[in-house]
Amino acid sequence: MFGRSRSWVGGQGKTKNIHSLDHLKYMYHVLTKNTTVTDHNRNLLVETIRSITEILIWGDQNDSSVFDFFLEKNMFAFFLNILRQKSGRYVCVQLLQTLNILFENISHETSLYYLLSNNHVNSIIVHKFDFSDEEIMAYYISFLKTLSLKLNNHTVHFFYNEHTNDFALYTEAIKFFNHPESMVRIAVRTITLNVYKVDNQHMLHYIRDKTAVPYFSNLVWFIGSHVIELDKCVQTDEEHKNRGKLSDLVAEHLDHLHYLNDILIINCEFLNDVLTDHLLNRLFLPLYVYSLVSPEMSDDRRINPQVSLYLLSQVFLIIHYQPMVHTLADVILNGDLSVFTPHTDTHSTHKNTASAGGVRRFTKPPESLERSLELSRHRGRKRTQKRPNYKNLGEEEDDERAGGGGGSGGGGGGEEGWDDDSRGGEREGGREREKGKGTEGVGGSSKGSRASGETAEEIEMVVMEKCKVSELTEQNITDEEKTAAATRTHIQRSRPFLDMVYSALDCTDDDYHALFVLCLLYAVSHSKGINRDLLERLQLPVPDQERTSYSLVLVERLIRIMNQAAQPDGKVRLATLELSCLLLKQSVLSGNDCIIKDVHLACLEGAREESLHLLRRFYKGEEIFLDMFEDEYRSMTSKPLNVEYLMMDASILLPPTGTPLTGIDFVKRLPCGDVEKTRRAIRVFFMLRSLSLQLQGEPETQLPLTRPEDLIKTDDVLDLNNSDLIACMVVSKDGGQAQRFLAVDVYQMSLVEPETKRLGWGVVKFAGLLQDMQVSGVEDDSRALNIVIHKPSSNPHAKPLPILQANFIFADHIRCIIAKQRLAKGRIQARRMKMQRIAALLDLPVQPSASEVLGFSQTANASPSALPFRFYEQSRRAPNDPTANRSVFASVDKVPGFAVAHCVSQHSPSPLSSPSPPSSGSGSTERCDSVTASTVSAQSPTDNGTFLEHTPPSSSGGEGEGGGGDVTSVSSTSSAHFAAPTLAPSLTPASQPTISLLTDSTADTLSVESLTLLPPSDMPHLHPIASLISATLPLQRLDAPIAEEEEGNDEEDRREEEEEEEGSPLDETETDATVKEETMTTELVTPTDEAAEEPLEVNTDQTSAIEGDEGTAAETEDTERHTETPESPELD
Amino acid sequence: MAYAYLFKYIIIGDTGVGKSCLLLQFTDKRFQPVHDLTIGVEFGARMITIDGKQIKLQIWDTAGQESFRSITRSYYRGAAGALLVYDITRRDTFNHLTTWLEDARQHSNSNMVIMLIGNKSDLESRREVKKEEGEAFAREHGLIFMETSAKTASNVEEAFINTAKEIYEKIQEGVFDINNEANGIKIGPNHPTTASTLTAGIQTPLTRSGIDKNEVTTLLDLDEDHGVVIFKFAAI
Repeated sequence: MFGRSRSWVGGQGKTKNIHSLDHLKYMYHVLTKNTTVTDHNRNLLVETIRSITEILIWGDQNDSSVFDFFLEKNMFAFFLNILRQKSGRYVCVQLLQTLNILFENISHETSLYYLLSNNHVNSIIVHKFDFSDEEIMAYYISFLKTLSLKLNNHTVHFFYNEHTNDFALYTEAIKFFNHPESMVRIAVRTITLNVYKVDNQHMLHYIRDKTAVPYFSNLVWFIGSHVIELDKCVQTDEEHKNRGKLSDLVAEHLDHLHYLNDILIINCEFLNDVLTDHLLNRLFLPLYVYSLVSPEMSDDRRINPQVSLYLLSQVFLIIHYQPMVHTLADVILNGDLSVFTPHTDTHSTHKNTASAGGVRRFTKPPESLERSLELSRHRGRKRTQKRPNYKNLGEEEDDERAGGGGGSGGGGGGEEGWDDDSRGGEREGGREREKGKGTEGVGGSSKGSRASGETAEEIEMVVMEKCKVSELTEQNITDEEKTAAATRTHIQRSRPFLDMVYSALDCTDDDYHALFVLCLLYAVSHSKGINRDLLERLQLPVPDQERTSYSLVLVERLIRIMNQAAQPDGKVRLATLELSCLLLKQSVLSGNDCIIKDVHLACLEGAREESLHLLRRFYKGEEIFLDMFEDEYRSMTSKPLNVEYLMMDASILLPPTGTPLTGIDFVKRLPCGDVEKTRRAIRVFFMLRSLSLQLQGEPETQLPLTRPEDLIKTDDVLDLNNSDLIACMVVSKDGGQAQRFLAVDVYQMSLVEPETKRLGWGVVKFAGLLQDMQVSGVEDDSRALNIVIHKPSSNPHAKPLPILQANFIFADHIRCIIAKQRLAKGRIQARRMKMQRIAALLDLPVQPSASEVLGFSQTANASPSALPFRFYEQSRRAPNDPTANRSVFASVDKVPGFAVAHCVSQHSPSPLSSPSPPSSGSGSTERCDSVTASTVSAQSPTDNGTFLEHTPPSSSGGEGEGGGGDVTSVSSTSSAHFAAPTLAPSLTPASQPTISLLTDSTADTLSVESLTLLPPSDMPHLHPIASLISATLPLQRLDAPIAEEEEGNDEEDRREEEEEEEGSPLDETETDATVKEETMTTELVTPTDEAAEEPLEVNTDQTSAIEGDEGTAAETEDTERHTETPESPELD
Repeated sequence: MAYAYLFKYIIIGDTGVGKSCLLLQFTDKRFQPVHDLTIGVEFGARMITIDGKQIKLQIWDTAGQESFRSITRSYYRGAAGALLVYDITRRDTFNHLTTWLEDARQHSNSNMVIMLIGNKSDLESRREVKKEEGEAFAREHGLIFMETSAKTASNVEEAFINTAKEIYEKIQEGVFDINNEANGIKIGPNHPTTASTLTAGIQTPLTRSGIDKNEVTTLLDLDEDHGVVIFKFAAI
């Protein structure tokens, strides 16, 4: 027994094996010698108790005889004895810790039974510790929690005594339900949940009969007090100073709701009934719902309607317990029924009567929880008689109901009876009587009159008489609703709450309330606990449901919000708008069909149009606009609104503000300053555009501006024959080196290495967007460039994350300069092209003529080469033959210029008339052709829209191509797919005129048809220019063919074929064809000329070769620009 | 006993990783780790000294309550520090860290200091999770990391105290709103209210909006193009 000694005990000095029965015996001896706690033996006792714990745990794991001895000697009694001596904190804490450890570590059921068997534990539970001591409190509640974790159907009998109706563990614990220390409250909740979880009918009956009413009524009051405090916090807020406190209170409310929900989902039916009743009738209805109407009459406690809407949304988002949320939703949505027509009256009476009593009242429970529990313990039977419990009530009602139609009266009576002990009971009666007078009572007797009033309540009390009443209500509502649906005038019915909800959607001054209403409607429509019928009857938006009609009121209001959001000074926050869009979609989308009425669609289109106009104001040539535009799109798509998270944010409870200094998320406040106004306008435009497209079943074809699938990716294999490649050494930041070829595409720069299998092909090792690139020289090395490409981030203010950061070392400084220029130009180019696509999206003119407005003047004049010529071709063709060009555009549109660019790229490397292009080159050309061909069929008037998009680039010149065209070969195909779905005419309203003007200006064949069909709004104003240009055009064009001959023969042939293919079926006129040919040639020249102008862009030898043509080409280009001029204005 | 601050901790992690043993080991030295005996406890309190100040640590184990959403939610919210524990001899407990962390981040206040603990470092022979892996995980998620053994008491002290130091630093920096007990920090009964340590003004709302400490220093960004002060927000 003295074996492995590793510890000594309490100053005894003897070394022993502390883990043994003998040692326990010794401990027992110590206890018997020290039955009275004194200052001298305190330490010894504490250590003894601690050692006993250790031995017991050891015994549980190794030797059960230890437990036998512990029980036999009734050692728990010593503990109690010590406790009762008021032995002070030190000993108390030690005892509680011991008990904690004991129950925590005991693993054998039998050991546990031993410990629990003689009721000592219950004596300890009811011991009056000094709970003002924070540490004792914490240990005590942990002890109870530990015990509660051991509860199950067997162990519960050690705690719950059926005969004495005692359940100390539970009743002692719930006394601390509102303890100021949050950890204590949490522990209490844990204990209650652990208790409710035990499926023991007797125990649960006890809980319900003896404790449920006091506990739940106090709990509900506690929650309500927090709500009142929260409301006060909102009301007294100045300058958002209360936000910190407010967010705590909101979190607290959420905690409460989650707790309630945890109780409800344990699904102990009769507990749920009591809880539901209390929640509905003492909190949700009287405090939350009633606060929705006429809050100015504040006899009763009221909270702000916005607070109430916010809290109700939380309720519906968190709690899904059917009987409760359905009833709650029913009251809000249906208010009262025709039987209780003067519902509003009822309520005003209710408020006017000073008593303001009622079954559904937010009142303080008559007595504190502790007192109630004491009373119920002592009075026992007597008390139950005085206060009929739920069981009794239910029976009573059932009886009466079964008895006949007077059931409703029974319900009322029952409630009344139940409420007897609440102080308001008396007044309640009075109120009911008054109500009875107001309505026509069903019967003459006071009880009868009460019944009539009470029936209204009864519907809300479905919980109590679930089946019967709900049946009754169902019928009523259905009838009502039939008529309502027939006449479509359900607004006329008195539904004060619903009216309030709908009217709060008005955003004229602000969207403070509207946001909450939207959240509430969203939450209600997504709640699993609400009967779909209820929502359908009101035609509320139920997600994923087939439907044939929708709520006109709601939809109209939603559209109005959208309209307001699109106003320049609109006070609608982005979150509100997004939620409106969400609800609108839910309302009018039925499966894959959209059932929106034309008139509503028109209004919505109007809103979209407004948003477009709004955004146009902010459209600038500045670089930042493009970044913002793309960032907004990214953040909108990557972070869709999460209503649950939105409703967890306390900041929206305070009046909407505009300043970012509050730290409130952008979507939850109004914009501040121009940048944010721009961002907002962009976002509004995106949302409404996406909504409009979705409702019309159109796919989005123009956003995002860069689609990942259209980009060159790492490991793509490209045909780089005839591309401009610059060899370089890439030295990355971390020191890695690689030999690569730099190629610049329209939107991207890529680093390639040769493909081993195919000559002239390359494998992409890196590809990055030119627009996000920064190029700078390296100080001490004229052959090197430092290149950084940042990853586009969804948060524009986050630190940019570089995806490439490297020094590029070229063979000599000339190549370095070439590369630098190409990259720099490419960047400008890429951005410009995107800007022009945005402009097209906004139906803005992108012409040089319009340059001043748009800030593009530079582009137009200073650098004529700025645009890839691919666009030239397209725009050129367009004029010739309206029909043909449509098809062409359809194909080209896909990716601005990709397909064409490729073809062009071929001749820049081989400017000398080479009759047959390299095999690979031809391959790529074929691709171009196929693209065009494939899309020929896809002609529609709407193609113009797409055309538009491309026209802009052409105006700014083709120079960027030098780099841009090189690598496009691969992309051309993919780009084709991209464009295939063209825009609906409705979405590009302004684009229509394009055709007419185009033809008008450039080509001789003016398509009268298009003019008549779609007269451009500002034709008169545009015509002069157009005609002027068309006059000068032919002259210049004549020169073009010569130049062209040298360079792009084969190309042109192919093109012509192509053109004819497209044209012939459409029965072109002779003139068309000729003109087309002319234009064609000109187009083809332009690229070369461009290159020539920018010697650094192409190899020097090429430049010389082109030299001759330069003059002509330049001229042609000039023409080109002019020709386009007319097109743009008409767009607007 | 008088203390300057009281910090509330929670201990989270899979069952069986030794949370309650760590807790007992830290809070009660008298329970010497011995063979054949594992003892744990669900609650413990202990006084420590940081920077000459008495600080009381209250540690709550949340074991067994995971099934109630309301409980975990509130626990996280009420704590200033969390010890996230895994067992180095059980790979699965390490794999579950992400879930625990997500939970913690979602429910806790954004300033909560989280310490990652690889427990049972005494069982080197049965090790399944390399120390480097723990370190990497901690680095990736911005946690403090330590390997401990409740059995040999190795690093247990350090784990709890380092966490406390981190919290204390945050208080000094004014990141924590100490006047708000919901954060899991309480000012001692006899301690003069230290509201002065709070940086007034905008930081209070900011610290609530989900920005962690590292970002606070760079909260204000001057958007040079537009001369606008812009806030950085952590994704919510």
